[in-house]
Amino acid sequence: MASGIRLEAVSRTFTSRGQATEALRGVSLDCAPGSFTALIGPSGCGKSTILRLCLGLDTADAGTLAVGDFSPTEATRQGLTGVAFQDAALLPWRSVEKNIALPLDVLGLPIADYRARIAELIALVGLTGYEKALPSELSGGMRQRVAIARALVTTPKVLFLDEPFGALDQILRRQMNIELQRIWMETQATTLLVTHGIDEAVFLADRVVVMASRPGRIAKIIEIDLPRPRDPALFNAEHFHALERQVSEALDGH
Amino acid sequence: MTRLRPLLNLAIILIVWEIVGQFQLVASGALPAPSAVLLRLITDWSDYPLHIGATLYGAGVGFVIGNLVAVAAGVLFALYPVSARVARGLNVAIFALPPIAISPILVLTLSDMAPRIVLAALGCYFVTMTATVVGLTQADARAVDVVRAYGGGKWAALRFVQWRNALPTILSGLRIAAPNAVLGSILAEFGGGGRWGLGVYLLGSLGRAEPDRLWGIGLVATAIAALAYFAFAALSHFVTRGTQAVTVPSAVLSSGDKPRPAWQQALIIAASVALPFALWWVLLALLRVPTMIAKTPPGLFDYLFLLPSAPIAQGKLLAALAQTLPMTLVGMVCGLALAFALALSSQIWPAIVRAFMPVALVTQTMPLVALTPLLVLMLGRGPAVILWITISVTFFPAFVTMAQGLLQVPRAALDVPKAYGAGIFKQLRLVSVPASLPYLFAATRLTVPRALLGVMIAEWLATGTGLGNLLNQSRGYLDYGMIWAVAVISVLISVMFYQIVVAVERRTLGRLGMASAE
Repeated sequence: MASGIRLEAVSRTFTSRGQATEALRGVSLDCAPGSFTALIGPSGCGKSTILRLCLGLDTADAGTLAVGDFSPTEATRQGLTGVAFQDAALLPWRSVEKNIALPLDVLGLPIADYRARIAELIALVGLTGYEKALPSELSGGMRQRVAIARALVTTPKVLFLDEPFGALDQILRRQMNIELQRIWMETQATTLLVTHGIDEAVFLADRVVVMASRPGRIAKIIEIDLPRPRDPALFNAEHFHALERQVSEALDGH
Repeated sequence: MTRLRPLLNLAIILIVWEIVGQFQLVASGALPAPSAVLLRLITDWSDYPLHIGATLYGAGVGFVIGNLVAVAAGVLFALYPVSARVARGLNVAIFALPPIAISPILVLTLSDMAPRIVLAALGCYFVTMTATVVGLTQADARAVDVVRAYGGGKWAALRFVQWRNALPTILSGLRIAAPNAVLGSILAEFGGGGRWGLGVYLLGSLGRAEPDRLWGIGLVATAIAALAYFAFAALSHFVTRGTQAVTVPSAVLSSGDKPRPAWQQALIIAASVALPFALWWVLLALLRVPTMIAKTPPGLFDYLFLLPSAPIAQGKLLAALAQTLPMTLVGMVCGLALAFALALSSQIWPAIVRAFMPVALVTQTMPLVALTPLLVLMLGRGPAVILWITISVTFFPAFVTMAQGLLQVPRAALDVPKAYGAGIFKQLRLVSVPASLPYLFAATRLTVPRALLGVMIAEWLATGTGLGNLLNQSRGYLDYGMIWAVAVISVLISVMFYQIVVAVERRTLGRLGMASAE
């Protein structure tokens, strides 16, 4: 059974050098189990803050958050969640295999039971043959794929992706988008994707949540009614462009 | 050819030295020729093993203990930033204390090899502790986030990410700590106690006017320190597969503690100031040293202010300070100015840095202050020797710090004024000088304690003036109160100087929007 994500009236203010910045003010968001939600907005609108709060990396000043039936900290401790960040954040001294196994180490799970799972994931992200390679021997795109595999190793019920393809070029990014859709449809994990790319958001998500900054808040939620599986031809479809335009206008404050 | 260049320079130096020595050109033979030193070394060789063994034992045990404590402390400070703030006073005191000042105290309160072990350990502690904290806190924050995102706590982050990340930094810290341990052991030997050790041998030979023997001992001490350095450099190279520049840490880290209410801040600062005094008191209580010999903080207060003899003690101290402080300041300013000028001129003539840097780097591994007797022999016992010793102990580390800082000025930054037709001096004024400011401050922090150490050793061994002499005399008179007073006051002065430099640095760099160099 999948778990959802729920935010109720969440606020978070950062203070640096006596200057208060409202990263989030009264944000409420409900992601149904198994749904795919994209967060998009200008830098400083608090989209990454939402993700950090959901992962228990930071605590809210007000409001409540839940991942499944648990608080973020409990959910992460139980291994319900998976995460991939913008830069791959691989440990340079661990091989591809061992980097993918890092969450198992942290959660104290026996790696021996996951050998098959790790091999399967390496195949899924197209890195068969690179099991023993060190991150320094991989290209940027390959490292990012290791990070995705790492995010999936615990078979998470909830997947958090913080601009996971932000550092990749457009062509590679499209390929990764298609891969990600396939992975998501197979795993049925509730997914929250933070992104800068309008096309990426529309292509992948069930809903695009457009955010505004100062204070960080939700400006508009746009439902994406495109049928699945979505294929690359969609990037040129008229309806796709119309949806992109809607997101773009919401970003401009219309 | 470029690789052979340093060897060529060395050959030139040796040849010039040989000629100067053969014809007794310096101080009528105080600088013997290398061949004479070598011959003497061979004749004396049967004396060496026991001396070397004793110094190595003190340095080795101190190295192990000091570094174990340092790594443990570094882990604590990195995991709990508030502990770093509470321990700040203690860390500054350990960084700034002139080892020679506390060496008589250690000889009084401890026995056998313990004083050497303690001074060697203190020499290692600061370098390795700082390296540990830097290595742990500069780990990839995203990788730490990944661990925390799976519910991992501080210890999990330490185990899976930070520890491995800190390893190369800690190893390069050990590289600098190794010669420091040798120096610490030798300085403790200067303070007395024991028959064996290179420091004992050096002092014993100083009175007998045998320059070739003194030089031989100096070279052996240097060789041991250099060997220790290169052993750890090789280990570090093996583990990290890369080399790093030698920079000696001189900042007491202010780690990223969260903002706290004013009363908590005040409490932390008070605790930080009180901790070194509390530790002093507790250690004496634990060691059960007789109160006549061991002065506790109140005991010292009595001696300096309440006892009938207090005015005499105060007078002696003030007179000594009036001799020591000006010398320290002048020596330090000269050493820094020379280093700054040379580092800047290397921007105009890069060949200077290329030719001089290897020499300067080698001096980083030399127990320079332990070689003071050699300078005494060459320069006599006048005030000039104080200045020369102080300049030499401040110049080299300052030059290395500043030259390495200037190397980091991006080429493009120099090209912008150049593109508008600026000459070399305008480039220096607009780019190099401001860019080197953080390194100038880092160098100043580094040289404060060394300058005081240099002056005190010169006073102790050569001129018979100032704090160094007062310390030495008081040992003879068994004036325990004065020994403690000099030790505590020289540590306090060093800490005060350090804090002044830090305050000026914060203001200046803060106004320029620059970060402190480390």
